[in-house]
Amino acid sequence: MHMSRMVALATALTVGIAAPALAQDKLVRVWHTETEPQTIKAFNDLARRFEAKNPGIKIEAEGLAWTDLEGKIMASLAAGSPPELSHGQPITCTALQSKDLLNPLDEVVKAIGEDNIWEQVKRVCNVGGKQFGLVHAAGTSLLIYRKDMADKAGLKPPKTWNDFLANAKALTQSTKGDGKIDIYGITLPGDNLFINILMGELIKSNGGALFDKNNKPLFTDQKMIEVLEFWRELVKYAPPGWEGDGYLQTFQNLYGQKAAMMFQGYGRGAGLIEKFAPKEKANDKTFDVWSKPVGPSGKEPGVQVDEEPWMLFKDAKHQKEAIEFLKFFYQDDNYLEYVSTVPIHLFPITKSLRASPKYQNLEMIQRWKGWIEVQQGYLDKDQGKPTLVVDWSDMTEKPYLLEVLGSGIVRDMVMDVVLEKWEPKRAADKAQRRLEDLLRSKGYLKG
Amino acid sequence: MPSANSELFRLPEAAVGILLILPAILLLLSLTLYPVLYGVWISFFNKHSFFPQQTFIGFDNYISLLRDPEFWASVWRGTVYALSTIALQIILGVAAALLLNEVFPGRNILRGIVIFPYVVPTVVAVIIWKWLLNSQFGLVNYLIEKAGLVDQPISFMGKDWIMVSLIIVSVWQFFPFVVIGVLARLQTIPDELYDAAKVDGGNAWQRFVYVTLPQLKSVLFVIVLLRSIWMFTKFDTPWLMIQGGGAETYIRTLPIYTYMRTFAYYEAGLGSAMAVVMFLALAGAAVLYFRIWRREENL
Repeated sequence: MHMSRMVALATALTVGIAAPALAQDKLVRVWHTETEPQTIKAFNDLARRFEAKNPGIKIEAEGLAWTDLEGKIMASLAAGSPPELSHGQPITCTALQSKDLLNPLDEVVKAIGEDNIWEQVKRVCNVGGKQFGLVHAAGTSLLIYRKDMADKAGLKPPKTWNDFLANAKALTQSTKGDGKIDIYGITLPGDNLFINILMGELIKSNGGALFDKNNKPLFTDQKMIEVLEFWRELVKYAPPGWEGDGYLQTFQNLYGQKAAMMFQGYGRGAGLIEKFAPKEKANDKTFDVWSKPVGPSGKEPGVQVDEEPWMLFKDAKHQKEAIEFLKFFYQDDNYLEYVSTVPIHLFPITKSLRASPKYQNLEMIQRWKGWIEVQQGYLDKDQGKPTLVVDWSDMTEKPYLLEVLGSGIVRDMVMDVVLEKWEPKRAADKAQRRLEDLLRSKGYLKG
Repeated sequence: MPSANSELFRLPEAAVGILLILPAILLLLSLTLYPVLYGVWISFFNKHSFFPQQTFIGFDNYISLLRDPEFWASVWRGTVYALSTIALQIILGVAAALLLNEVFPGRNILRGIVIFPYVVPTVVAVIIWKWLLNSQFGLVNYLIEKAGLVDQPISFMGKDWIMVSLIIVSVWQFFPFVVIGVLARLQTIPDELYDAAKVDGGNAWQRFVYVTLPQLKSVLFVIVLLRSIWMFTKFDTPWLMIQGGGAETYIRTLPIYTYMRTFAYYEAGLGSAMAVVMFLALAGAAVLYFRIWRREENL
């Protein structure tokens, strides 16, 4: 056969085989951070049902660990091939929106019904009245404590940080009576993300802020010094080597009887307690929640809301299909299937589902009602904000919070105080200088 | 019979050879030299890691990192980590190779087992070790508490122990590399040398010092060089050790800090400057190492 004919035949075969495959499916890539097996299964089931109803669209969902997510999003954007949809931190969403990389999800909001979405949720990544990020589910942080131990010791709910420290001291015990402490008052995470989360909460609870209107860090402010002093006292009642504990290890300490309180708990913990705590203790009579205490300069508690928004990337190919998928995701029955996989943590963002008997009657909701009520209280009183967001205006006016989080400067400051035994003022001075350098190098801080 | 045209376009044999290897050379250059040069180039810019924002700033990145105490702290941590792991790998590796060079039942099986840590993927190795060293459920704590060595479990991932834990994991993971190299050399040392030493009255220790070690010199030279380069630039093991909790600050070696600057601060320019400094330091150390070696050889 002549060479040119062979080439023509090969090209025709290649096109003939590939073309139907290419024409067949519009691929919607979805990255999410829910890595519990039952949630992944529910999400995949939902995606398959959507595909069945929408021939020609394929949903490719991938569950990613938190630590991988931001880097992967950034790399995909740099490569010009972001997924259609992804979860992200609220501060990631505003950082990307400020660089004009996202498209709004107003059409999804309209389909759900704007009035049907909780106010708190609508404030996340809402810029100029457009919803650039739509939260998949919201759950607040919780102060979880051993009710059985607290009752036995006659402890009251802590109103202030001092009350809380007194409770932590009282709950640090040698239960075997041999003088060896075997249960500590508090379990704290030592990893960067959770130290930043806790810092955001504590500074809010102490009436302070992290940055002023001109982006100048406020780390040498007296309110920050008080936060660091509180942290220094708090770790006295934490297990030795607490700084090596990650988020899941702190839950392990709680249900494994090594610690009596957990300041950075979440509703997800209810499931872990049911699964891993001794049967007779795996209930809300043993593990209950208190409202979080207030700092010496604060007026009301501040908590973090775990509420990753969906983001729709401008450079993604199948925008319309991605929007259709989100509309399908938030339909009550589908959404119920998703949130019911971790019901105490994944609070629905829609009022209709939250009020529906189907949701209210979920067995787990019934079993852990107190945990739900405390979270609801925080949300209703607007005491919950995303990571490092102290005031809602931070959401749009401080697009550098993602870099602050990633830099580890806050964590280093805390470690300087609690492990290196620096005076809070000295550690705060160092962090202030580092943050000013960081913000100056990025052009957010002048002078 | 060749035509006049083909005669005209006949290339010299050497040129044909160059043309044939040119694609491979271009591929290699594009995959190795280009990224290196690009890295050096962007180290002179204030450049965002992912967005097309960059400003030429000359040597500012280098100046700012030399003034950065975190940079020097990470250099120090990296040096402690690399030197201790290299020393322990060599000691353990040589000892294991000497043992495996002896004749005993089950030697071949043991040789296979010794290689095992080196073939286990790093992520698996680190997860297993983190589980073994867990302060609450870990086997290591259980055993040392049971043996009465400690009153309270040791927090191996805490401030005081995390560097030690990292060194233990790294030595366990990489000492088989030393075993393979040394064992191969041991098997080629002529028995006559040992026989002669025995005739001269040399005991086991003297035979090791005066026969075995000099014979191992060349292979140890290569092993130390390679392991030094790999341990100074080691990223995956320390990075995985701090995932999901850990006193990251205390094992923030230079490669980790470089990664953080690039992918957490999003400062690709500064991250590249750190990588260039790391490269220059290693190249300098390698040159020095070769010179010292040559001088020793001449002696």
